[in-house]
Amino acid sequence: MAQYYPGTTKVAQNRRNFSDPDYELEKLREISDEDVVNILGHRAPGEEYPSVHPPLEEMDEPDDAIREMVVPLDGAKAGDRVRYIQFTDSMYFAPAQPFLRSRSYLCRFRGADAGTLSGRQIIETRERDLEKYSKYLLETEYFDPARSGIRGKTVHGHSLRLDEDGMMFDMLRRLILNKDTGKVEAVKNQIGDELDEPVVLGEPLDEATLKEKTTIYRKDGEAYRDDKDAVEILHRIHVVRSEAGYSPE
Amino acid sequence: MDIEIFPHRLLNPETTEQLLNELEVMDGVKRMVVHGPRLPPEEAGSSDRTITIQGEKLQLQVQTGRILLEIDEEETIDEVRAICENYLPFGFNIYVGTFIRKEKTVTDDIKYAGLDQIPEEMIGLTDQNAKLSERATVIKRKD
Repeated sequence: MAQYYPGTTKVAQNRRNFSDPDYELEKLREISDEDVVNILGHRAPGEEYPSVHPPLEEMDEPDDAIREMVVPLDGAKAGDRVRYIQFTDSMYFAPAQPFLRSRSYLCRFRGADAGTLSGRQIIETRERDLEKYSKYLLETEYFDPARSGIRGKTVHGHSLRLDEDGMMFDMLRRLILNKDTGKVEAVKNQIGDELDEPVVLGEPLDEATLKEKTTIYRKDGEAYRDDKDAVEILHRIHVVRSEAGYSPE
Repeated sequence: MDIEIFPHRLLNPETTEQLLNELEVMDGVKRMVVHGPRLPPEEAGSSDRTITIQGEKLQLQVQTGRILLEIDEEETIDEVRAICENYLPFGFNIYVGTFIRKEKTVTDDIKYAGLDQIPEEMIGLTDQNAKLSERATVIKRKD
C-alpha cells in the first residue's frame, strides 16, 4: 500500500485521504460546467477551445517508443492551450492547503503541473482537462466558499484574520456572502473581472465541520507536536538528509 | 499614552462606523487611527465603504484591522473595553504602548515644506509612504 503521510491524528488521516486517488472525496456542491468556465475566465462559455498546435493525429510525429506508450490527454490530443486555476487557502482551518494540494494533485490528476507557494497554489494543464479538474476541485471537499478563494491574482489574505462574516479577506471582493440567502456568490472571475451573473457556490461550512475536515495542524485545533508519529518521521527525514549530505563513510 | 484595539476579526464598515462613533464622543480619547489591509480604489456607484462619523461622510481606504487611540488617562481603557465588548462579540485584545508617532521626522519636513508647517495633531496620523495629495485634502487660502 502506498504510504502518503505519517501520523495518527485526524489531520494526518485527512491528508492521506486527499492524497489517495482511490479515496472518494465527498461532493459538497453542484456547479455547472458553464459556471466553472465563467469563474476561470480563460474563454467565454460555448466558445471553441483555442489551440496552439494542430490535433496530434494530423501532426507528423517522429517514431518514438515513449510517444507510443504514453496516452495523451484529451486537451493535448486536440492541441489546447495550457491554462491555470489558482487557489488561496485561509490558515483558519481551510479544508486544503498549498502543499497538500500539490501532493494530492500529483496523485490524482494526470498531465498537470502544480506550483506551490506559502499562501497560494496553482495547477496548470490543457484547457479542457483543466475545466474538468477545476469542477472537481470546486465541488468536492477541496473547497470551502468562505475559507478558500479562487484567485488568479491579488491573492493576499490567507494569513489575515477573517472578516466579520467569516469570509477570508479578499482585496478584490470576488466571493461575497449573500446575507439574505446565507450562500456565497462569486461576483468576479478568478482575476477579478465582473461576471454578468453571480455564480452561487453554496453555504460556507460551519466551524465544527471545518475542524473535522481540515488538513492544517494548529495549536487551537490539533497541534503538530501532539502527533508523535508525524514528528518522529520528520525527525528521521531530517537526520537522514543531514547525514547523506555529509556523505558519511 | 496610546492603546491598540485588536479585534479577532477584520471589521466591516457598519461595525467600524458604530464603534468609531462611540469612541469619538469619549472625553479621554484625543486621536484615533484606523489601520488595516488596503482596499482597492472605490468603483463608481457603490457606497458600501462610506461611513458617517459625527455627521461627516468619509470613505474607508482600508478594512479595519486595528484601531489606535491616543488617550489621557488609564481609566479610559476600561471604558473603551466596555464599548468594545458591546460591538466586538467575536473577541478582541487591548494593548497599551506607543503606537502613534509623536516626533516630527525628516520625511515630514520634506512633505510639508518645513517642520513648523505641521500641526501638532497631524503628527503620525498619515501614511508615511503615501503621497500627501492622496491622503489629505489641502484647502488653499485666498490671498
